[in-house]
Amino acid sequence: MSLHADIALQIGALSVAADIAVEDEQVVGLLGPNGAGKTTLLRAIAGLTPLAAGRVVLDDEVLEDTATGVRVATEKRSIGVVFQDYLLFPHLSALDNVAFGLRARRTPRDVARRRAAEWLAKVGLDGFAQARPRALSGGQAQRVALARALVTDPRLLLLDEPLAALDAGGRAALRHELQRHLAGFSGTCVLVTHDLIEAVTLADRLVVIEAGRVVQAGSPEEVSLHPRSRYVADLVGVNLYRGPVSDGAIALPYGQRLVAVDDAHLSGDVFAVVEPHAVALFRDHPEGSPRNVWSGTVEILDIMGDRVRVRVNGPVSVVAEVTPAAVAQLRLGDGGLVWASVKATEVSVYPA
Amino acid sequence: MTMPTKAGGADSGPALSLRSGGRATRAYRRSARRAPAGFVALAAIAVAFLVLPVVGLVVRSPWRDLPADLTAPGVLTALRLSLVCSLSAVAISVAVGVPLAWVLARLRFRGRGLVRALVLLPMVLPPVVGGVALLLAFGRNGLIGQWLDRGFGITLPFTTGGAVMAETFVAMPFLIITVEAGLRALGQRYEDAAATLGAGRWTTFRRVTLPLIAPSLGAGAALAWARALGEFGATITFAGNLPGRTQTMPLAVYLALENNLGTAMALSLVMLAISLTVLVALRGHWFHPR
Repeated sequence: MSLHADIALQIGALSVAADIAVEDEQVVGLLGPNGAGKTTLLRAIAGLTPLAAGRVVLDDEVLEDTATGVRVATEKRSIGVVFQDYLLFPHLSALDNVAFGLRARRTPRDVARRRAAEWLAKVGLDGFAQARPRALSGGQAQRVALARALVTDPRLLLLDEPLAALDAGGRAALRHELQRHLAGFSGTCVLVTHDLIEAVTLADRLVVIEAGRVVQAGSPEEVSLHPRSRYVADLVGVNLYRGPVSDGAIALPYGQRLVAVDDAHLSGDVFAVVEPHAVALFRDHPEGSPRNVWSGTVEILDIMGDRVRVRVNGPVSVVAEVTPAAVAQLRLGDGGLVWASVKATEVSVYPA
Repeated sequence: MTMPTKAGGADSGPALSLRSGGRATRAYRRSARRAPAGFVALAAIAVAFLVLPVVGLVVRSPWRDLPADLTAPGVLTALRLSLVCSLSAVAISVAVGVPLAWVLARLRFRGRGLVRALVLLPMVLPPVVGGVALLLAFGRNGLIGQWLDRGFGITLPFTTGGAVMAETFVAMPFLIITVEAGLRALGQRYEDAAATLGAGRWTTFRRVTLPLIAPSLGAGAALAWARALGEFGATITFAGNLPGRTQTMPLAVYLALENNLGTAMALSLVMLAISLTVLVALRGHWFHPR
């Protein structure tokens, strides 16, 4: 089973133009900041928002094609959707919510209820068949929503930030559960998320969306190793630079240069990634081998485990990860001017 | 230096809330929400003005003669006719008003604002004018009436059907506006969810939309019923005042005031009781605005 969606549409100020392909039994994660158009894409694939131009094809069945005027109504598409806030019908019990899709497709009542009960058991909610959505916790509501979307055996599963409405504790547990259900799902799945952990654990492939456009697509590993946008770099927590290669170094704004060892074979525009823990900080200009040295004012960002994240704001801004001991020794809390240095061997370069 | 200050600040929080646990809180709230000078007195005048007439009706009614007054000839007839006409008006209003409310709330089309303004016009139109308008449209020589009369032999003015029409005309806008507001407040998201689950438009409306707007529909129907029950001007203009056919309770009250005050007051008490019932039924909807 596969999905190919080539979508162009305009909603308010947001113009979306994206081409997304999902292969057999694959889970594709749409990753992007809020307002990037991820949910809009999902709604367009579901047929809830009409396309201005483009086509949506699911397993060789054309669901929508503006060129030929084909448009299969949402209720005729073999889809299951888990909405961000679940949208469980408040006037129906958990069981009737799950049975709704079967009943709407004319499954006899007793069969529908039996299969709904089986699915409630599958998501660990045996005892909650008669509970109204209002009486369910966030995690329970999420499970009911998942059961409701999967009970009809859809060929395409659309998940819109399925874990975003949960607190951090419930999220980890439900992520594992969701992973299990996705492994047992034989259709195609599109998962919208702005959470990196969710994306890399649940998705086989990532499509990064920013301002309605695809800015990067690839395996989770590839995307996190070689980010191609500030958004992904921030998510992964690395410093990302972009510039043309000249004179064996990468030219950065304000006449600054970034020297890397493996940029000899590259030309034209490149991306360069520097891990924060590879950045060393000094109060005085460092002596010795480091090729990349920049000065700037220091600003403490936050503490992550036993490391402190520090930003040096200068012509070349860089985030460093240092130990609390270093913060004390260099009196980074006082602010002021510091020197940041990066060894050329710590700069990873790839074509832009 | 800063740390102890912060800790102190954090400590004083719970202590404050403990102290303001009981009556102190209420006194504090009262002082925080003081009305502009004179407002309470003016508000009291408004309440008195609205409540005193009802008190007058209840106090001055000849309660002892009530059983006799209520069974006087014509009274039960008017009561029965009122119920038949007003409930018919509500049924018609629901049958066509709910679809109209849906169209106004869910479809985007040119002139939607104009359509809404036109269908809500009877709410602000003097009922007598409504009656005249109905006559000009559905009267024997009216725009549509002459055609109905000659083509089908249907005559509406001065019939029970005419009374139902007059009541529907003034009552339906209340249902439309309430149901439309309910549909807008509900939004389309549950309907979207139903569509993704394979439910067609009619199934979605029946199994999702309708149950979720039931409170609005109930409130709208109750308002429309109360309005239809009290209808006077449009009814007497379009349907006349024929006992047993078009003389509903308000008309009977007006007539009885001339010669039999007791009957007028008895009928008024019945309508007051019905109004109070509607009000109590609506309390969730109107007394606790969100």
